[in-house]
Amino acid sequence: MGQTTVVQPTQESSRLSKFWIFILRFQSYFGLIAILVLSAMLSPVRNGHNIFLDPNNLLNIVRFASENGIIAIGMTLVILIGGIDLSVGAVLALSAVGAASFMMRNGLGTLPTIFLVLSLGSLCGLTNGLIITRFSIQAFIVTLAMLTIARGIASLWSGGYAIPLAFGDAPGVAPASFKMLFAGSFTVGGVDIPVQIFYFIGVGLIAGMFLKRTAFGRHVYAVGGNETASRLSGVNVNRVKTIVFTISGLLAGLAALLHAALVNQGSHIDGNGYELNAIAAVVIGGTSLAGGVGTIVGSMVGALILSILDNILGLRNIPSEYQMILKGVLIVAAVLLQRQRR
Amino acid sequence: MKTVRMFAFLALLVVLVMTMTACVAPATTTTAPAAGAEVAATEAAPAADAQAPVKKDKYLIGMSQANKGEPWRQAMNDQIAAAAAAHPEFEVVFADAAQNNAKQVADVENFIQQGIDLLIISPNEAAPLTDVVAKAYDKGIPVIVLDRKVNGDKYTMWIGADNQLIGQKAGEYIATWCKDQGHTPCNVIEIRGLEGATPAKERGDGFRAGIAGNPDVTIIASQNADWLREKAIPVSQAMFQANPVVDVVYAHNDPMGEAAIISAENAKIDLSKIAFVGIDALPTPDGGIKSVMDGKLTVTYVYPTGGAQAIDWAAKILEAGEKPPATVVLETEEVTKDNAAELYQKYGGK
Repeated sequence: MGQTTVVQPTQESSRLSKFWIFILRFQSYFGLIAILVLSAMLSPVRNGHNIFLDPNNLLNIVRFASENGIIAIGMTLVILIGGIDLSVGAVLALSAVGAASFMMRNGLGTLPTIFLVLSLGSLCGLTNGLIITRFSIQAFIVTLAMLTIARGIASLWSGGYAIPLAFGDAPGVAPASFKMLFAGSFTVGGVDIPVQIFYFIGVGLIAGMFLKRTAFGRHVYAVGGNETASRLSGVNVNRVKTIVFTISGLLAGLAALLHAALVNQGSHIDGNGYELNAIAAVVIGGTSLAGGVGTIVGSMVGALILSILDNILGLRNIPSEYQMILKGVLIVAAVLLQRQRR
Repeated sequence: MKTVRMFAFLALLVVLVMTMTACVAPATTTTAPAAGAEVAATEAAPAADAQAPVKKDKYLIGMSQANKGEPWRQAMNDQIAAAAAAHPEFEVVFADAAQNNAKQVADVENFIQQGIDLLIISPNEAAPLTDVVAKAYDKGIPVIVLDRKVNGDKYTMWIGADNQLIGQKAGEYIATWCKDQGHTPCNVIEIRGLEGATPAKERGDGFRAGIAGNPDVTIIASQNADWLREKAIPVSQAMFQANPVVDVVYAHNDPMGEAAIISAENAKIDLSKIAFVGIDALPTPDGGIKSVMDGKLTVTYVYPTGGAQAIDWAAKILEAGEKPPATVVLETEEVTKDNAAELYQKYGGK
């Protein structure tokens, strides 16, 4: 499994099939356009002003997609090699507790905190990767174990309550630069753009280029497509896998920095279910859970679609249960459509 | 070679577990040290509440918690531990079910096996825990049920707060606040807790009863955020986006109230014009009382855990042979800027 085969259509159905194939190839983009149009139509209108299309609202949609999007980018890489990472939510919580603890209890500055938190996330990912490859245990099991271990450590570290983050320049509070750096906004042409968006797009660009332009990227697709063949072709499969899981942990750490700055606390119960949201974004974006097929941009679009869903239901004051149902339907629809491509 | 590696891994695991059990303090493990002489004494006790107490020098109390992961429940455990510290003859062992009914049943069975003198339990759900609680009760172990209930009447006493009353007090506060501020109409957005948990329903219903006194107060939007701050941020952001004029935010708990404050700041809304209402008022650094002290939440209501009261009643039952009332409803307190500092001290905040 791995190659997209384009079926040669017969004479009569050729035009229709070509159109359908075109849609399927860019399914996530068309999905995005469809949900944007639907939301704009369903949006409440006030004084002739469409609330959904209000620039602030659209920026908010991207802002709230950023955390999940960054985690989803890491998850894409993991799923591409045929694995899964169930620990990202817990690693986020652990890293957020770490960030709050470093700044509030240990009096560390912004830069040391960033370095330590990203290292912590990477370490969790590295541990996952090493155990999976050295002991040949399935990713599902190892990352599930890391999930519970990380939550336990987070709970002990925080002392059982969420560590509040107060920002300022006085001693005993976290540096204001941290808040600005991870939850502030950047004014461009009179519009306040939340910084989370820059991290989201930045990570997406780097990861995308990484995958498309480097040998390592090709190895990732190869390992996911056919592990045995890639190993026989000389690819160091264990190294590829370990690096991918480390990146997943690193990105969970980055998302934790954004998270802590947004919610003003480091809590050991945060990030619950984040791994499932990330997987949903990845699947809706067109990546196959079997591995070897998928794109970074697709997952970013998937994260946006989920955020739009959250947003329009909130604007319309619809109970969150409907959002849960719709999310599930979207996931299955995305997988079904994806299967048609083969 | 693979078998050797596997055994090495297992051996490492066993050593790790043993080291951890040795290092972790007894009060937080689910396995209690040997009860010793008390076991014989408990099994001989008759299944009645009122009995001439056999004064012992050590009592073993088992505390079965529904989900230690929730801050409010962690506070319940902390308050029990703090109250028990004043009774050197009490040894309290804690078990956590992590929202799993079957685990909680096993935890209670475990306690019965260990020969506890008294059981404190905050059940995850009523029906699944009723039988095992009845079993303990029938064996002559006094049972104190905290916060959530079990079915039937096979327990010694229930201690808890009244969510309906708390909601109503919050509603009455807002009814008065809206009148004082002269808002006509007074727009309220509500951020609800987990649907299906009775506290959310009761806090919601109570609030609506409380605001009935002021016809200008209307709830213009109501969304569920599962008691979580991180969920409430995008939810409240959307509500602020859809409703430009908001006078009151009624959040079913403090974390969600704080989330609304964050969203309002992000949307550049004037915070001083809005009343932010929360519930729980935990005396922790991340709790509601501190938030009111810092001028963020406008008002919050103490949702007492009953932990300290449970230990008080345990002492009365075990040592004085008192027959307690079947139900003890705990009072709530309104926390505003005026009394926040004093209440923070009172509830043991650091």
